[in-house]
Amino acid sequence: MSEQEIREGMLLAVWDEPPLDFDPDTLIKRVEQKKSRRRALVAVGVATAVIAVASFSLPGLLPRDRDTQLGADTRTNTSAPPSESAEKRAQRIGDKLVESLGVRMTNFKELYASFSPGRNPAYPPYQTKAPEWKQDETDYAGYLYLTDAIGPTALQVRVSKKAFSKNGFCGGSAACQEVEQKDGSVVHTVEQLWDSPQVQQAAVAREFDSGLVVEITAYAYNPSNGNGQRETVPVRVGVLTELVTEPGINWE
Amino acid sequence: MRKADEQGFREFAAANAASLRRTAYLFCGDWHTAEDLMQSSLMKMYLAWKRIKDLDNLIAYARKVLLRTWLDEKRRPWRRAEQRDGELPDAADATVDPDTTSAKLWARELVHTALLQVPPRQRAALVLRYFEDLSVAEVAVAMGCTEGTVKSQTARGLATLRTIVEKLDSSSGRVAS
Repeated sequence: MSEQEIREGMLLAVWDEPPLDFDPDTLIKRVEQKKSRRRALVAVGVATAVIAVASFSLPGLLPRDRDTQLGADTRTNTSAPPSESAEKRAQRIGDKLVESLGVRMTNFKELYASFSPGRNPAYPPYQTKAPEWKQDETDYAGYLYLTDAIGPTALQVRVSKKAFSKNGFCGGSAACQEVEQKDGSVVHTVEQLWDSPQVQQAAVAREFDSGLVVEITAYAYNPSNGNGQRETVPVRVGVLTELVTEPGINWE
Repeated sequence: MRKADEQGFREFAAANAASLRRTAYLFCGDWHTAEDLMQSSLMKMYLAWKRIKDLDNLIAYARKVLLRTWLDEKRRPWRRAEQRDGELPDAADATVDPDTTSAKLWARELVHTALLQVPPRQRAALVLRYFEDLSVAEVAVAMGCTEGTVKSQTARGLATLRTIVEKLDSSSGRVAS
């Protein structure tokens, strides 16, 4: 089979070509439609991306001052509804503490709270699995994690129905004070130096008539892991007292 | 696009649509697919018309676009692969010369069976070289490769085609030339 035969064969192969119904105007119209569809698709994609970015970034950009927040007048109370589980209650109180601390200490970053059931907070290095919450759990404890200019640390939070020992709390400090609140609860405060020129431990405890005791303690190290030694506590008793008497939190 | 440019494209498309479809048919072996390929190629050219309208050899560019469109289409795993499970019987036409018709049917068979068995790039080289009657240099431009590659692809394509045609001829009792 020669090249000429192949050439003729190809020419013959198209002899029964069906009629061509081609209109350039229809083609141009289709291309223009395709272009406008693509533009619309891009516009929708961009709009979706903008909305997604805005929804994530806007809460961080809004002023954190409580009085200027949207819906400040209808602020939710953290009092737990009767059916709310202990875990959810602890989580809600933790969120409120984070919000309250963030408003007071604007230099703190990466604030979050984590609680576990029991009178003493779980110490992660020795904890192989998360402790289980029971429906009627009254005691819980945990940490309010924060990062300041020095680095990451945490405040220890304990909520329990244990009998409060003033002597044990004050640890022999003469600076131990107590202030009675309008609701009848008593707030105890103490700052310990432990032979150091600066405060090494700041603690507040709010003792309710029901027997519930809320303790928030700041150390000159990170109590959640025992590391992060620093010269003094990240917050003093003034801030801790404001946290423990935060009106938006119903501890009981 | 400006009206003048649009008119220029319209004239180019109307003048070359048929020849592009024939080339596409020899690439793919199916008139419907050939029409789709031709239209897709012209759509791509329309989108780039502002940039390409002043090229010296627009039809060569169109062939290049057509070839790439076909090769792209072939590479797609989800490309439409029509499953043919039979052929419509041809009705006898008493007015035609039997010898001529036989030659034409053999030529159609050449495309449908022999040419379609040749690997795509070799097939493209054969079609551009012998159907479009392009020089080796022009085929190299259309295929985006060197002239040496065109020569080797053409030689291999011819050898493959000859082997297939010989098999076809021996099975149908026709004597190979």
